[in-house]
Amino acid sequence: MSATAATADATLLCLSGVTKTYRMGEATVPALREVSLAIQPGEFTALMGSSGSGKSTILNICGLVDRPDCGTVELDGKDTGTLDEQALTLVRRENIGFIFQGFNLVPVMTTFENVEYPLFLSGVPAGERRQRVSEMLTKVGLADLERRRPDELSGGQRQRVAIARALVKMPKLIIADEPTANLDSATSNQIVGVMHELGRMIGTTFLIATHDPRLTVLCDRVITMNDGVLQ
Amino acid sequence: MKWLIFAGKNILRNRRRSLITVLITAVGTAGILISGGFALFTYESLQEMAARDSGHLIVAHKNFFTSDEDTPMQYGLDNAAEMRKRLEQDSGVRMALPRVQFSGLLSNGDKSSVFVGMGVDPAGEFYTKGPALTVASGTTLSAAPKADAPAEIMLGTELARQMKAVPGTLLTLLSTTTNGSLNALDVTVCGTVSTGVPDVDKRLVYVNIATAQHLLVTDRVSTLSVYLKDTGQTDVMRTQVAAQFPLQTVQTWRDQAYYYEAVRSLYNRIFGLLGIVIVVMVGFAISNTLTMAVVERTREIGTLRALGTLPQQIVGVFVLEGMILGGAGSLCGMLTALSTTFIFLFADFQMPPPPGRSVGYPLQINFSPSLYLLTTLVLVLLSVTAAWFVSRKMAAKPIVEALTHV
Repeated sequence: MSATAATADATLLCLSGVTKTYRMGEATVPALREVSLAIQPGEFTALMGSSGSGKSTILNICGLVDRPDCGTVELDGKDTGTLDEQALTLVRRENIGFIFQGFNLVPVMTTFENVEYPLFLSGVPAGERRQRVSEMLTKVGLADLERRRPDELSGGQRQRVAIARALVKMPKLIIADEPTANLDSATSNQIVGVMHELGRMIGTTFLIATHDPRLTVLCDRVITMNDGVLQ
Repeated sequence: MKWLIFAGKNILRNRRRSLITVLITAVGTAGILISGGFALFTYESLQEMAARDSGHLIVAHKNFFTSDEDTPMQYGLDNAAEMRKRLEQDSGVRMALPRVQFSGLLSNGDKSSVFVGMGVDPAGEFYTKGPALTVASGTTLSAAPKADAPAEIMLGTELARQMKAVPGTLLTLLSTTTNGSLNALDVTVCGTVSTGVPDVDKRLVYVNIATAQHLLVTDRVSTLSVYLKDTGQTDVMRTQVAAQFPLQTVQTWRDQAYYYEAVRSLYNRIFGLLGIVIVVMVGFAISNTLTMAVVERTREIGTLRALGTLPQQIVGVFVLEGMILGGAGSLCGMLTALSTTFIFLFADFQMPPPPGRSVGYPLQINFSPSLYLLTTLVLVLLSVTAAWFVSRKMAAKPIVEALTHV
């Protein structure tokens, strides 16, 4: 089943016939059933669905942190199924950013260091790193807090750091898994605004799993999942 | 550098745990260095004692060490004076001392006792013996005895006690001559000595070499003991002297130092086992610390992997953490061992007498740069290996599993 015709040409991300099954003890649980999906560059896509509908699984596969049992995943026209773990890691490093529900910041790193980390991994020179990180922290409104560690920040501030970390390398795709789920209403509004504004500014493609209607109204497309199938 | 800073920050996450690991490593390192230093001091002391006793090289008749003599001095050296002169011409030789080994009975008129005697050149002999021989009473043998005076004798303290002899006491030496007949000689006790080994002191007799030769009716000597300027040159000089005197046999002090070899062998086993136990203990401590760190940081590892960190980079951070923990522990241990070495150097701590000896010896710890370097290398390598071992599986864990770890 497919909600959108899978067309690899001019698409950033193309899933064709992706199936994923998990084994839970003796039982086999299908998480995705022949899912096909095409996401265009710069698109803001929301993925909705009840718990266990397969949202996280599809995010993992789109983010190249998991592999499908069958079907293909193409990023920028390249089939990622042929890549080994090392190559996939390098593709993620250069092309994909992640925003997690639980922020997933490195607790021993300062705000600055957390945001700097992806640039460091990519081998960006120190001077350029400093400049880009400072700019990004200014954009998310945390310029004054760059020396603070995550445990010295509020939930909203942490998520801003996570957004800055995801965007600082200007990836082609950002995978966001319920980015506002752990935040209060006011903070959620700010985070949604920041994500949308910066995403548009940089031209990054967003694939967001969410239940938050404030997010979905800003998205170009809303896809609903049910029992491992795109509606 | 970034990775090193990251590793350092990770270590400081759980300061108490890291501190305990560093302390365990430090105690282990200090334990190895102190016990190893003590063993080295013991080896060095025993080596010096053995070399002082026998000489670095012992030149003797080719059958001297392998066959029993039919008559005294059968396998003695002729022309010892000439050989001595040739040996002492070598710049590596400090001195060559002739010795006559003999045995017999010592009598005070009322009772007799068996003795094991040594005819020596007093000028060199008591100089080379140094602290290995303690003069308990009287004086050592005269280097140039008067022709009309009775021959001098030095007795072991225990033998002197048995014979009720003090300096000035007249005794009689009775021994078998080289032709098999008995000969007796009156001697005057000039002093008593102690080797620190009661069994030796019960039988020990020193006389001038001329006295011994007169008693045995010979001009031969049993051996020539060669004292070198550098103990490290023993093997080289042995080859050289053996080539110089092809008809004789040459042994080194090590060939004669049965006690040294036995103690060394025993200590090597004891301290080797102790070292292994300490290394295993430190290995477990570091593994435990890093295993806990790896498990606690599973989710973070998943995040870092998702962001594009390679598994080997994750392992690399843990290896650096292991290296820092092991290095810091080793450094603290080295400082502790060094401080202990200095304290023992200036404080007069005495060890009790070893079995078979009557005097104790100072407790000192040698400083050996190679031991320090080797210990540090082993412990750091162990820490690095433990870190690699505990982190490699987690770094290769599927990212999704790591991210959902609770």
